[in-house]
Amino acid sequence: MSGDGMRDVSRRVFLRAGAAVLAGFGCEPLFLGRAAYALPAGRSLLRAGAAGRKVLVCLFQRGAVDGLSMVAPHGDPIYYAERARIAIPRERLVDLDGHFGLHPRLAALAPFWRDRSLAVVHAVGSPDATRSHFEAQDFMETATPGRRTTPDGWLNRLCQHDHEHAATPFRAVAFGPQLPKALAGSAPTLAIDDLQAFGLRAPTAATRDRLTRVFEALYEQSATGLVASSAEEGFHAVEMLRRVNPAQYAPRHGAEYPRGRLGRALRQVAQLIRADVGLSIACVEAGGWDTHIQQGAAEGQLANRLGELGDALAAFAADLGDGMADVVVLTMSEFGRTVRQNGTQGTDHGHGTAMLVLGGGVRGGQVAGRWPGLDPAARHDGRDLAITTDFRDLFGEVAQRHLGVHDLAPLFPGYASSATRFPGVLG
Amino acid sequence: MHRFLACLLLPGALHAQAPAARDSAWHALNRLAFGPTPGLVDSVARTGVRRWVEQQLAERADDRMLRDRERGIEVLRRSPESMARLFVEARREVQAMRRERGDTAAAALEDPVARRDMLRDLPEEARELRERIVETQRLAILRPRYAGNQLREVLADFWLNHFNVFAGKGPVRALIPAYTERTIRPHVLGRFRDLLLATARAPAMLVYLDNAQSIAPGSEPGGLIARRVWRSERMAERRSSGINENYARELLELHTLGVDGGYTQADVQAVARILTGWSIEPPQRGGQFVYRDWAHDRGEKVVLGERFPAGRGEDEGERLLDLLAMHPATMKHVGAKLCARLVADDPPDGCIDDAVAAWRRTNGDLRAVVTAIVLGDDFWAPQHRGAKFKSPLEYTVSALRAVGAEPDTSARLALVVARLGQPLYQHTAPDGYPERSDDWVNSGMLLQRMNVGVGLAAGKLPGATFALPATLPPAGDLRALVAQVDTLVLGGRMTARTRDVILQEIATLPAGAPIASYALGLAIGGPEFQRQ
Repeated sequence: MSGDGMRDVSRRVFLRAGAAVLAGFGCEPLFLGRAAYALPAGRSLLRAGAAGRKVLVCLFQRGAVDGLSMVAPHGDPIYYAERARIAIPRERLVDLDGHFGLHPRLAALAPFWRDRSLAVVHAVGSPDATRSHFEAQDFMETATPGRRTTPDGWLNRLCQHDHEHAATPFRAVAFGPQLPKALAGSAPTLAIDDLQAFGLRAPTAATRDRLTRVFEALYEQSATGLVASSAEEGFHAVEMLRRVNPAQYAPRHGAEYPRGRLGRALRQVAQLIRADVGLSIACVEAGGWDTHIQQGAAEGQLANRLGELGDALAAFAADLGDGMADVVVLTMSEFGRTVRQNGTQGTDHGHGTAMLVLGGGVRGGQVAGRWPGLDPAARHDGRDLAITTDFRDLFGEVAQRHLGVHDLAPLFPGYASSATRFPGVLG
Repeated sequence: MHRFLACLLLPGALHAQAPAARDSAWHALNRLAFGPTPGLVDSVARTGVRRWVEQQLAERADDRMLRDRERGIEVLRRSPESMARLFVEARREVQAMRRERGDTAAAALEDPVARRDMLRDLPEEARELRERIVETQRLAILRPRYAGNQLREVLADFWLNHFNVFAGKGPVRALIPAYTERTIRPHVLGRFRDLLLATARAPAMLVYLDNAQSIAPGSEPGGLIARRVWRSERMAERRSSGINENYARELLELHTLGVDGGYTQADVQAVARILTGWSIEPPQRGGQFVYRDWAHDRGEKVVLGERFPAGRGEDEGERLLDLLAMHPATMKHVGAKLCARLVADDPPDGCIDDAVAAWRRTNGDLRAVVTAIVLGDDFWAPQHRGAKFKSPLEYTVSALRAVGAEPDTSARLALVVARLGQPLYQHTAPDGYPERSDDWVNSGMLLQRMNVGVGLAAGKLPGATFALPATLPPAGDLRALVAQVDTLVLGGRMTARTRDVILQEIATLPAGAPIASYALGLAIGGPEFQRQ
């Protein structure tokens, strides 16, 4: 095996010695001997306990959400002038600070604004001017605007450089059928569509356990290198989940998740956080934001999507209760939408948008970031909300102040991160 | 080079090097094909591995099985123009429907494998487009599953990925059939220069990397009406006006020279200027390649030190592509990529040197380049056998082939491949899917592969029909059963440890359990079948 290969194995071999994590489940560190060989000298194993592990939940609004409807600048007359049919009437908005208001269907988030665990960053986005969804999403997820061939996602790089924490199989999980670009890369990450169905499928629990055992034996006996270590991670994850017993999960504090993908995904995130299996990065997705036609105002197409978003986030925060102290939810979208409504009562691809930051440690109750205004002279290309906060400064602040990442350089290659540009939503 | 010649000149040299004909047949069928079908290892070993490889290189294998399957595929009979128009009509209908109902039904167009019930509500053109896209996905499985000329399918997969386009960008999804059938497949064993030129003129590529919109600053079509039409189209589609460097950059970085190929940003800009005017007709008018002289930058350019004098038109683009196709950096970059696909993730220098030498000697004849690689020592070296990890497509198709399972008429097998991490035609970035093992191995996907193996063997894999082969002995003689499974799935190379685990497991199954399919599923989902 080449030198590179060795390094990959050592980087990816799952460390089973997570004492607190494992003790909770009575797992024996069966493979400690084999895993330990790959542990590079001088690398700390893990912190003493898993309790208090910080969690970042990234919620990607794919399709470019209209930030001007999500958090509407009702104090700006141009907003109403440019959007005769789709502006949210002032009296319907949940006023935040006399200038901005939450969309009425996000009303479920109002309590978090009041208790200062919800902040908004407005006029945020990517400095790259592309109006292609997929390019802009790739740029945001690799955190390298303008560079098309960055091989890995920013959250994967975060895992690659996080030597503080034990790499449990659930450290970074995407809740969906496929791994998003943000999590793709050499650090082990998981895509889980359904916690209950994760692992091997069989008609009964007994046959499933049997199948799991025999495949575990096969891979233990006959696989080598990366395949062996990855399979081992997988079986360990299956075993941990079996003990967590996802079928039995009951949300607490009367939390009611909305039906649909997003509610289900956030419910599973809450479940894994509460199960204390070492989750530190979760990715969830919500689609349906590409509202070119009939986007609606206080009610309608976009309102329905925002309603699902607000209700799902509120249920998630209620479910976790005090646990939100260690959690930050960050919403993001590849770009925003045109200031002016188009000919079909919708909006087209724009530039700046709004992102929400929700969590116990958040400096909430503020709309952060400099507001550039909607005056045509202040707009991007004369038509779109300009960007005053580079998304990397927001991501960087969350990575540093919430997750404790000291060195942001590997996360944002080619970009000099500086705390002076952080929007100031944490710490 | 001399090793390559030795192979060609001395019949039997290959056999003298190979440890055993069956081992070599197994290796060849795993790398130059999507795995063996039942009995194929033996028949290739019998008639001679060398002869089989030569037959594959000459594309002389029997393809009747595939032809039969292709007969019912409508998209192969559609003209590229009609597909482009179908896209426009479908989009118009879906937008009208969305305006009426205001929401989600249109999402079915976005997702080529969306749910069926949604389809019933779709307007006719949208449904038709979707059916054609489903066929495109089905073809991507049918071809490697049934083709006799397997090497051609391996290379088609390689080149489609090398010149990747993304189905989700605008009309690209409707342009992909023409892209695979007319742009890529005719050239996979032809000249690299022709392949490069075909991709440069392919509507799918021109749209995907925006060259269709790249025009010399300040230029507009001549003629009053043409100008007015062009301006209104530009406003409607909010196209920017000016040079777009996207294609030029990827052409140099990915398609030809490679990121370390010694070019500069000034070269990228000059290449973009040379290719201004290489565009397409609007999709409603067929969406075919067109060179627009009025959009062309007629100034002087310099690329890689070569001067392109002022005043030239489309011909300077062809000259540029000729230059790139025979540039030493291109030979090295693309040759090394071919070696990584066919030989090893980190191919030895000697193998790359052979490929480059053949490229230079034949002016980029890809048949000669591939011949040099697969008849070279490195291809057959023991350390490279079974040393690569199968991609999701390779894994799925090789599993189907191993047991003789048949794809049904849905696109659900393409969905299986997608769930394993390789949604076909949906890699967004121009670099294509990765080739290295590390990029495909992860715990969630390994578990999924085990499920695929078990599901297939049980006859329950969505999209595949499969019944246990009659050759499997009935329950009773467990050793004979596992030996049969070994022959079928692993070419008789199952390790003793794997055999012991499977034997022990099936020996303790309760009476009446489907022992044979269980054993088969374990072998397909097990670690050895993940390698090639």
